[in-house]
Amino acid sequence: MKRLLIPGTLVALILLAALAAPLLGLPDPVRQDIAHRLAGPMEGSPLGRDEFGRDVFSRLIWGARTSLGVAFASALIAGVIGTAFGLIGGWFRGLGELLTVRSMDVILCFPPVLLALLVVTLMGPGAGTLILVLSVLYLPGFARVTYAEVLSARSHDYVEAVRALGAPAPRILLRTVLPNVAGPVLVQLSLAVASAVVLESGLSFLGLGVVPPAPSWGLMIRGARATMEQAPMLLFWPCAVLTLTILAMNLLCDALRDAVDPRTGGTRSRLRARDRLLPGLLPAAKPAPDTVLAVRGLTVEIDTPRGPIRPVQDVSFDVRAGETLAIVGESGSGKSVTTTALMGLLPSVARIAAGEAWLGGTELLRLPEEGMRRLRGGAMSMVFQDPMSSLNPVHRTGDQVAEAILAHRPISRAEAWRQAEALFRRVGIADPERRMRAFPHEMSGGMKQRVMIAMALANRPKLLICDEPTTALDVTVQAQILDLLAELRRDTGTAIIFITHSLGVVAEIADRVAVMYAGQIVEQGSVAEVFQAPLHPYTRALLAAVPEGDTPPAGIPGIVPPPHAFPEGCRFAPRCAHARPKCSAGALPLEEAGPGRDVRCARWQELACRSEEVPA
Amino acid sequence: MLWVLRRIGISIALAWLVATIVFMTLHMVPGDPAELLLSTGGTMPDPAAVAELRERLGLERPLLEQYGAFLSGLTRGDLGVSLIDEYPVLEEIALRLPRTLELILAGTLLSVVVALPAGTYAALHRGGAFDRIASGLAALLLAVPVFVVGTLLILVLAQMLRIMPAGGYVALADDPLRHLTLLAMPALAIAKGLSAVLFRMTRASVLDSLSRDYVRTARAKGLTARRVLVHHVVRNALTPVLTVLGLHMGTLLGGTVLVEYVFNWPGLSTPLLRAVEARDYPMVVGIVLTISGLFLLINLIMDLLYAALDPRIRAA
Repeated sequence: MKRLLIPGTLVALILLAALAAPLLGLPDPVRQDIAHRLAGPMEGSPLGRDEFGRDVFSRLIWGARTSLGVAFASALIAGVIGTAFGLIGGWFRGLGELLTVRSMDVILCFPPVLLALLVVTLMGPGAGTLILVLSVLYLPGFARVTYAEVLSARSHDYVEAVRALGAPAPRILLRTVLPNVAGPVLVQLSLAVASAVVLESGLSFLGLGVVPPAPSWGLMIRGARATMEQAPMLLFWPCAVLTLTILAMNLLCDALRDAVDPRTGGTRSRLRARDRLLPGLLPAAKPAPDTVLAVRGLTVEIDTPRGPIRPVQDVSFDVRAGETLAIVGESGSGKSVTTTALMGLLPSVARIAAGEAWLGGTELLRLPEEGMRRLRGGAMSMVFQDPMSSLNPVHRTGDQVAEAILAHRPISRAEAWRQAEALFRRVGIADPERRMRAFPHEMSGGMKQRVMIAMALANRPKLLICDEPTTALDVTVQAQILDLLAELRRDTGTAIIFITHSLGVVAEIADRVAVMYAGQIVEQGSVAEVFQAPLHPYTRALLAAVPEGDTPPAGIPGIVPPPHAFPEGCRFAPRCAHARPKCSAGALPLEEAGPGRDVRCARWQELACRSEEVPA
Repeated sequence: MLWVLRRIGISIALAWLVATIVFMTLHMVPGDPAELLLSTGGTMPDPAAVAELRERLGLERPLLEQYGAFLSGLTRGDLGVSLIDEYPVLEEIALRLPRTLELILAGTLLSVVVALPAGTYAALHRGGAFDRIASGLAALLLAVPVFVVGTLLILVLAQMLRIMPAGGYVALADDPLRHLTLLAMPALAIAKGLSAVLFRMTRASVLDSLSRDYVRTARAKGLTARRVLVHHVVRNALTPVLTVLGLHMGTLLGGTVLVEYVFNWPGLSTPLLRAVEARDYPMVVGIVLTISGLFLLINLIMDLLYAALDPRIRAA
């Protein structure tokens, strides 16, 4: 709304000046006074006189009246007729649509100025001709906008219902569609007015628009051209006023469009990127020798207009060679942000606030970009959730895999292509020679995910991160992809981090599991232990929510809180059946509950004892 | 291949529609077209002159016959003769069209060279100083009408600083340097609007492309920033820019008329404006059809280029 203010005020002022022209007591804009030809600023004429001795200031104001009058008249006519056409076309479809909406599109085949010139040839120049031409030119815009709006309104249930009840069509149209259409039509109207001012001045400048001596900005520029050597200011004033008017109108259009359609962005507040923070404060971790990845105290911070948020806080885990670690949690628990941070792919608004992550002997979180680039797709690689959008649609899949090889190894293109072919075969794609020449849109979802996996395996990574790699796929395909991943791990010994929200998948593929809730790990341990004897109430609730045998699944009340509303202390407390006041007293640490077993709960020991007495 | 043929078919159908509309315009205006063409300022024209014009335009014949003659003339490249001097319209166009094309090409080239890199850079450094300044400049350039820019260029560069000629034309063969000097200012005027539009589209398209999953994939592969930018961001961002560029050519072609007028560039606009003023109907129709046909042709080329860049279109 703030963006509307300045251009809105400016446009309003210009309109006001044009409307009030007769009341301002200005000199007659067409009265000639040859004695004061090209006179400079003088009494009663602050901007001087033109080549016929007419008052420039008065002509500017009256010119606004002409230009804006023509522009508004044509935009309004086009708006009324075009909207009506759109309503009719959208409501009756078929022949009505053809006559009112589709036929309008032909107008778009002409460059606007030329269509105008054609009509001027026939009808002669003048304001009337201009209004006629301009309204015809803007008809299609209005018809299209309204038509689209009607089509979407038609599909609404309540419109269908009213129609079924036999309400007359015109009433439904006016009552339901018009309010929806108002916004886009208003935007279209402002666009048409702005564009009409440009066209009107252009045609008048050519001497084919408004007929002299009527004042018009285009005509003033045309006239001043002849005398620009003696009186350059005569040229400057109408140019400046015309440009300012169009600029204000354009800005108003942009602001209006953003206000009506929030998708186009403008109103979204922009977040500012900030550099990564200083080296961490924690002492260096001492990972076990066979540990591929050791993460300690990883915290990610994002600056938002409401202040900084921490979608990931104090996350620590290890992944050993040949091991699969599953990270489970609901949407918004911070699983993906965690892995994105490890890959160095965080968006620029997010930064690592604390923590470290060791891949072998390399600390990832403070590695310069070039070092990170060498690791990405090399020692560690990633398979994403949606294979449909994760492959570039304009490159052949074979090239996309070969590209990953070439980014890390100095070999020839032909050799990279041969290796890519072996990879295609490795991930179970039949007829690899042909498939490599295919574009992504020519493949099924499961096939595309196989390509993504081939790409991730291209340089024999030590660590493979899979971010919900089966979520976007059909159930049968999901099973195939899981089998493929399990097989690849057996054969290559690659450590895998597997992000999922499905406990079934965890049981199938993982050795160890970390449960995340609201940006924190709340429990981790071996899959067998965690599934048999969950320590955290959230884990227990997750397990109870899985449909199993005859027991009906139990939902978890409430939702994961958004990062700006994380509760104090235990973040699960508001949804926890076992919550006590002490749970919310202060930040909880991740406690060691056994070898390789951690839990973040104030009452885990009490609850563990209780569940032994009363088996749930 | 099928797709290409279909797209060409659509263009031919559109060309036919455009020709039909132009033909109908003469008959849709209320009253006798011949009388209308001859009347100036509300005075009744001489009946003898009206009758003669009706004869020359063939208005006495049945409408359908006129339409058939018009279309068959078009397919043979016969656009009729000027009402003023009986000069064949096609010859006039053949003489002047290359000059207009040269101007458009120079302006487009200039815009692409400036706007594509600038738009990409602004998108990559969104919110930075360059982005703000360039975006502001683009908004300003969009707001200044092309004839205002042209006139001001002449005022400043030719009249005040006297470093450029005010306008005119010399054939390339006669004096190449002079030819290019004279081409510079009109090309610049044409480029002002187009480069602003291109800059905005490129910026928006690159921003959109940057947020795509496949760009994340490209980075996850460990490609260098340069390769990600060229092969995955810009390559994919170009296609929507092309389409909108094609659609914008209509405004550009209209703007060319004004630019040629301002700089005395003897392209199609000189005979067009003269013909509009003299109500020389066949000449106006010929030139309007030529430029509209050019517009359709440019859009056809853009669409074919689009298909070359985006394999998904070819499959559709």
